[in-house]
Amino acid sequence: MNPKIYRPTPSTAVFGFQFSGFSFQILKFFRNSGLFRISEFGFRIFPLLWFAIPLTSPASPATSFKDGVAAYAAADYSRAATAFREAAVVQPASGTLQNLGIAEWQCNQVGPAIVAWEQALWLDPFNQSANSNLRFSRRMNQLESPDLTWYEVVSTWLPVSWWAWIAGLSLWLAVGMTILPGIFQRRKAAWHQAVAAVGLMVFLLSLPAQLGVHTRARIGFVLWKDTPLRLTPTEGAQAITRMAPGDPARWERARGDYLLIRTSRALGWIQKDQFGLICPN
Amino acid sequence: MNSVPRIHIASNVTATASFDPPTVRLGQLAIYRVAFDALEESIAWPQGVPAPSKLEMTPGAHGEVQAVNGAELEPHAGFNYRVRASESGQFTIPAYTVRVYGAPVTVPAAVLTVEASPQLPARSALELALEIQQTSLFVGQATRVILLFPRAPDNSALMPIQGPPVFKLTGEGFMLAPNSVRQLIEVSPRSTGAGNVAGFVYEAILTPITAGRIAAFAQAYVGNRPSPYVPITFTAGSVIVMSGPPQYTLLDSQPVEFEVKPLPRHGELAGFTGMVGAYNLEPPALTTNSLRVGESLKLTVKAHGDGQLERFVAPPPPQLRDWQIFPLPADATPAQVLASQGFVTFGYTLIPLTEEARATPAIPFSCFDPVKGAYVDLTIPAISVQVKPAAVPTDFRSIQQANSTEEKPEKEPTLSDLASSPGMSANSLVPVQLQAWFPMVQGAPGALFLGLLGWDRRRRYLEQHPDIVLRRRARRALRRERRALQQAARLGDTLRFASAAVSAMRIACAPHFPAEPRALVCGDVLQVLPESERSSRISEVIKSFFEATDASRFAPTPSDAAKLLALQNEVEDLLTKLEERL
Repeated sequence: MNPKIYRPTPSTAVFGFQFSGFSFQILKFFRNSGLFRISEFGFRIFPLLWFAIPLTSPASPATSFKDGVAAYAAADYSRAATAFREAAVVQPASGTLQNLGIAEWQCNQVGPAIVAWEQALWLDPFNQSANSNLRFSRRMNQLESPDLTWYEVVSTWLPVSWWAWIAGLSLWLAVGMTILPGIFQRRKAAWHQAVAAVGLMVFLLSLPAQLGVHTRARIGFVLWKDTPLRLTPTEGAQAITRMAPGDPARWERARGDYLLIRTSRALGWIQKDQFGLICPN
Repeated sequence: MNSVPRIHIASNVTATASFDPPTVRLGQLAIYRVAFDALEESIAWPQGVPAPSKLEMTPGAHGEVQAVNGAELEPHAGFNYRVRASESGQFTIPAYTVRVYGAPVTVPAAVLTVEASPQLPARSALELALEIQQTSLFVGQATRVILLFPRAPDNSALMPIQGPPVFKLTGEGFMLAPNSVRQLIEVSPRSTGAGNVAGFVYEAILTPITAGRIAAFAQAYVGNRPSPYVPITFTAGSVIVMSGPPQYTLLDSQPVEFEVKPLPRHGELAGFTGMVGAYNLEPPALTTNSLRVGESLKLTVKAHGDGQLERFVAPPPPQLRDWQIFPLPADATPAQVLASQGFVTFGYTLIPLTEEARATPAIPFSCFDPVKGAYVDLTIPAISVQVKPAAVPTDFRSIQQANSTEEKPEKEPTLSDLASSPGMSANSLVPVQLQAWFPMVQGAPGALFLGLLGWDRRRRYLEQHPDIVLRRRARRALRRERRALQQAARLGDTLRFASAAVSAMRIACAPHFPAEPRALVCGDVLQVLPESERSSRISEVIKSFFEATDASRFAPTPSDAAKLLALQNEVEDLLTKLEERL
């Protein structure tokens, strides 16, 4: 009888993953075809490219941010605002928007400053400076804050996108913990049920915040001084009232160049370019 | 009892319009002035004046003055535009109508002549000249502004008649201290910079309150007589008397810009109350340096400085364990006196709460020096005192704590510094839940779980029906053997052909028993066939294949199996039928 020869299963490791059997055969073909070398080269230089782009591109957010800081230090607030706005358009960031608000404030642009600070808090509710600036500007200009419902207040506790991920992860965690033990023929343990219950609870608790994010996305602020709130969406319409820059309102619907907005006192139409939304569509 | 003079409301409002000067050289500034004998707020002034397109008109000052005329106040309102022509010629702003007190009033036409090369040098427009001592300031840093009033074309002085104050500064982001406006007596006449010689000169203190680039212009009403003075000769000599009603003219200056920087946040010292300027404190003075617990002493300090002393804000009294401190009432000395004496006095009432106190507490104070560009420490130093026990032993500290019901005041919000880094970022301000890709990403785990559920369900079904698995495997093996059979037929390998055929028949019949395919014999295969086919030609074929393979394996001489290749079609038909029965 021939002695049994042990032949180890051919396998290899690529990018930290172990491939064997059929997957090894596919990988072997892939490796021999030359595509592997190209993709491996791409994977190796990708991090370098990723970090090199902000350093080389003149209009990168980092460059614009630095330009804005330099212009602000030189008391050229208008140029600082332009630079911070450019940076925020390419990549909205809480610090960039906070600085944009400060520069706009120094240019006496109260409405755009308040919108920028609200957007900074929209991205990062932990930004205490933006919060303080908002309170300062509202106190200085006798402006009111948006009247938030309880679920909108809840949605301000965390960055807006976090709520979506929390809801998604908690839901699928609960579903997974409920069905996976059965599928994999494992006995359902107490901890499976506990994790599923916690996931379900987190999911249910995050639902009001999700609603709050949706409704807060409709909040905006008047940008310019003496902005008329019109009775109808026409240029010659009667002005119901005139609004101050930074006055909060919620937009209900759009028609042409006008938005129907609801303030704490009135409902009327305003030109789109006179109203800055926290979450521009 | 004082009676307020009645404001005269003219029943027939008149308007005048003119260019000053009426003739200019190309590129020279002219002022378009419109005046009404009415209250400014009653005039519905149009957004634009119907001017020729070649005239560039920039809105200037607008204002009102109320002149005393007998027992009544006579209002005069004016609107100025700064005008420059882009080419020479004669330009007319036609007459237009403005509603005043709700009734239409016609503003008469005015003509401006612009000459490329005038024969006589053109007179300059009458305008104020505004000078700001420093054009780069910090927020809160007071600076001196000087306003020069021009002389009339006949060299008579134009007297400011508005006030107090006699002039206004128009703009945003600063404030003008009304008490600081005073007339300057100049030894040598100044020029206003526009070719006019200054008559009256005023100065005031301006304080910027917001950072940024700030523009301001001055405006003031001046009074003069419409025509040259008329000399009336008496025998004793000549006496000059004025003729005609007085004329009120609204003048304004060119806008002046200045830069205002915010106070630096770094380096701010304790006790900063917003004082900006060069200040220094005299050593503090005490009313006594020996007292008992519970008795009070007064600490007074004189502050000298170049800033606005009337706006001096003393440092707040600190909250301490051993002392109770109250600020003294603010210095009520008039601003003019403060400015002349050059210092302001402030102080505190201090009450020791324990005999352990050995000195008055240091009171933190600081100001921002704009020349140095840094905060300066002006802390009021501690002074040694002797505190004796109270005549009646009392725990003043407990009393103070019991009475101290004041809540900690909320920190006053201020404008923050710039963020040093972009901070938390996102690809878009639109949250992920409002983006189209997010529901699809959330659908992926759902699809995965559905797939797993389906797979599990199928697995459980197959566990309960193992025959399905057997038949599926048999079908797969049968196809493989048929391929081997066809290949052997093509190659003419009779023995392999027969072996593959037998193997295929066994595989196709095995699930019916069920049994291991290799254990089946010819009879088992025939048993699977329908009753009607067992005695037909097909059974002969099956037998011949089994015999041939058995002979090849067990007989000493293999049988002639070459004829079996001819039966390929029949074998294929048989295998198809058997596969259909699986």
